[in-house]
Amino acid sequence: MNTGKKKRIAILCSTALLAIAAAGCGNSGKNSGEGASQTAATESAAASGPPVTLTVEVFDRGVQGQPDLNNNMWTKYVNEKFGKPNNAIVEYVSVPRSQEIDKLNVLMAAGEAPDISFTYDGTTVTRYAKSKGIYTLDELLEEHGQQLKSYLGEKVLSYGKYEGKQVSIPGKRTLLAWNGMFIRKDWLDKLGMPVPTNKDELYDTLVAFRDKNPGNVDNVIPWATAAAGMNYTFGNLVQSFWGPMTEEEFVTTTNWLKPGHKDAFKWLNKLYNEKLISPDFALDKTTKQADADVTNGKVGFYAANWDYPLSQKIREPLKQNVPDANYVPVDTFKNDEGKYLKEVYNENGIFSFIPKSSKNAELAMKYLNWMADPEVMFFLQFGEEGVNHKLVDGIPHGIAQTGEKMQTSNLNMDYTPIVNGAELGDTEKNVRTYAAALAAGDKSYEKLATDSYKINTTDGYSSFNYGVPNEANIKYGKTLGDMNKQMIDRLIVAKPAEFDALYDKLVKEYMDAGGQAVQDENVKNYREVQAKNK
Amino acid sequence: MKAVLDSSREYAATKKKNHFLHNIKRDSLLYFLLLLPIGYILIFKYAPIYGLVMAFQDYNIFEGIKGSEWVGLDVFRFIFEQDSFYRALKNTLVLNVLDLIAGFPAPILLAILLNEVRQAAFKKVTQTVLYLPHFLSWVIIGGMVYLMFSNSGMINNFLAGFGLDKIEFLSQKTPWLITYISVGVWQNIGWGTIIYLAAITGINKELYEASDIDGCSRLRQMWHITLPGIKSTINILLILQIGRMVSIGFDRPFVMGNSLVNEYSDVISTFVYRVGISSGDFSQATAVGLFQSVVGLVLLLSANFIAKKLGEDGIW
Repeated sequence: MNTGKKKRIAILCSTALLAIAAAGCGNSGKNSGEGASQTAATESAAASGPPVTLTVEVFDRGVQGQPDLNNNMWTKYVNEKFGKPNNAIVEYVSVPRSQEIDKLNVLMAAGEAPDISFTYDGTTVTRYAKSKGIYTLDELLEEHGQQLKSYLGEKVLSYGKYEGKQVSIPGKRTLLAWNGMFIRKDWLDKLGMPVPTNKDELYDTLVAFRDKNPGNVDNVIPWATAAAGMNYTFGNLVQSFWGPMTEEEFVTTTNWLKPGHKDAFKWLNKLYNEKLISPDFALDKTTKQADADVTNGKVGFYAANWDYPLSQKIREPLKQNVPDANYVPVDTFKNDEGKYLKEVYNENGIFSFIPKSSKNAELAMKYLNWMADPEVMFFLQFGEEGVNHKLVDGIPHGIAQTGEKMQTSNLNMDYTPIVNGAELGDTEKNVRTYAAALAAGDKSYEKLATDSYKINTTDGYSSFNYGVPNEANIKYGKTLGDMNKQMIDRLIVAKPAEFDALYDKLVKEYMDAGGQAVQDENVKNYREVQAKNK
Repeated sequence: MKAVLDSSREYAATKKKNHFLHNIKRDSLLYFLLLLPIGYILIFKYAPIYGLVMAFQDYNIFEGIKGSEWVGLDVFRFIFEQDSFYRALKNTLVLNVLDLIAGFPAPILLAILLNEVRQAAFKKVTQTVLYLPHFLSWVIIGGMVYLMFSNSGMINNFLAGFGLDKIEFLSQKTPWLITYISVGVWQNIGWGTIIYLAAITGINKELYEASDIDGCSRLRQMWHITLPGIKSTINILLILQIGRMVSIGFDRPFVMGNSLVNEYSDVISTFVYRVGISSGDFSQATAVGLFQSVVGLVLLLSANFIAKKLGEDGIW
């Protein structure tokens, strides 16, 4: 009797386990069933029948207090204005911002990437296009994307071409500044020093920050940075060391081999060894420590995004912790020709594309086209008047919101992949609008933003658009990118006596690991493009 | 004569067969329960082996295995030409050997010491406290390590307070290796004692009583009774550990590593992550994985062979 009971219990347990396993397996079956019905629905494309689900990628930036990325004011608007008329449900698939490419690779390989996927990495798009994993968009754009086409224009669209075919839709970048450098004006005033205008003056200022500690803080950090720089760069420091070179050299030569590049890192190395740079910068892989140091008022100088001090994560805590702190934009890395050479962005933003696995290519294009409607774009960037912004002299001033009305990225750029930066027609207005939207109309930030934008587009150059993919870069690009970051960090913390030998050794390793191949192909492509233009 | 032999053979065969069927029938419930783990292994361990063919293809994620082009050993050739692969391999071996030297004896020692603790309550509490780190994710441990050991971390601040030079625990080779290994030992020591404590419980109590009567000291008991009693357990665990010598977890080197010690912290798993997932080159990642498994198998077999030669029990 007892064994019989045991037996029954055991069988019950095991069947339950089997059932769970079966349910696990069954799930995928159910999904594919749904997929099939989706296809059917698209084919009929009638306004009636069950709605089609259009999936769209969105970045999850892990912002504190962020709403459900698939259910908030913005997604509701999209579903109301675009979804309903097209008998579609727009569903947002979130991808962690810091691992976007890793996650995208996995989604693409599994055939589960959203109907509209995007990435800032052009090489990744080229790689997908080369493997024929994404749609060519020329016909779709012609048929369903006229509004989008005229909004973006030929130039911007040309960044999304591969072998003459449109494979992605680049966003339009309205503000081209990339990096910015900022210094504590209140510290300078306390020390009676002027704003530095070249490297030597900056050096003296940093030494004064270290020795006199004008903010009277523990562990003052004259120059804060993070692993490989706060924005993958040290402002335009490196450019200011470059010597004269031909245009071809300037475009095609690996930075590590450019004349003067070594001296730039030698200078940084000297600064690090004199304790003028964050001591643990190389361990700060996520820039969290640098952010904390800045907002705790320990930092005298830093180079980051041109709009870094405007962003909510810096502005609000800094105002609370150190109300007197006043960071002003500076231009301090002057080269031998007296110019403040710096890299700015090309006119393109993020690249949106439609994976081959998508059953809704037509609808996806319609969605992007719909977004180019000025009214739609205005709403997605600035929200509702009186709720998300108030209009002052025709410029929308942002009202910070929490919960489902919050914007998790600057001007909702993660929901509007076809545009990056404020879009109100002209640049000056765009800059002011951008500042006003971020800093809720605070005049001092508006000045900060316009000054910073002006400084950080002066003497700007943008990266050369070859128009053809660099095969070697597709193959070695990621490895080289990683090496690049490690080299920067190791060179800065090296012992001064070992610097020269280390530099030569690392650069040789870099060139052997594919750097040479990339450079050779750059030269080849550059000459072809120049020949064609003549 | 021949006929007799034949029939006896036949008899033996049928008997064996019957025996087998009989066993299954007798313990049918147990065999039924076994189906589940077998199914798990078939689905999750054997079925994916099919994917290994990717190592011999120029794998195109959109075409899949069927549509991708076969390239023979090209992928392996490309890998073996890369310096960074050898570096990853070397680092994996170095870190694992160091881990073996420091991390393998530690739980044995601890288990023997715990075994000697008389007060049951104290023993239980100590054990639990020592287990705890095992359940912490490496991401959390990484954060703790950063707070304690970085240049501006707790320990260096403490040293600075006494006017001592700071120690660059996380950014120089030797200090980093020591930190890496010690943190690993700290995390695993408690967990590792479980098996040894169980083995110690299995030792016949009469042996201890007899040695007590003969006036044997505590230390002698450990040496002559406890250690030999758990020798076979130690053996098997050692062989298994050697088999894992070429494979290494991903989280620990990834979290503890940084660009300054990358030359020592880039191991096979982080290499595979970089080329496979980050660069989307699945062929290379698969090839490295295959290479790793083959070397692991060879090491496991040789360790087993040597153990048997030395007169110990192997794992089979």
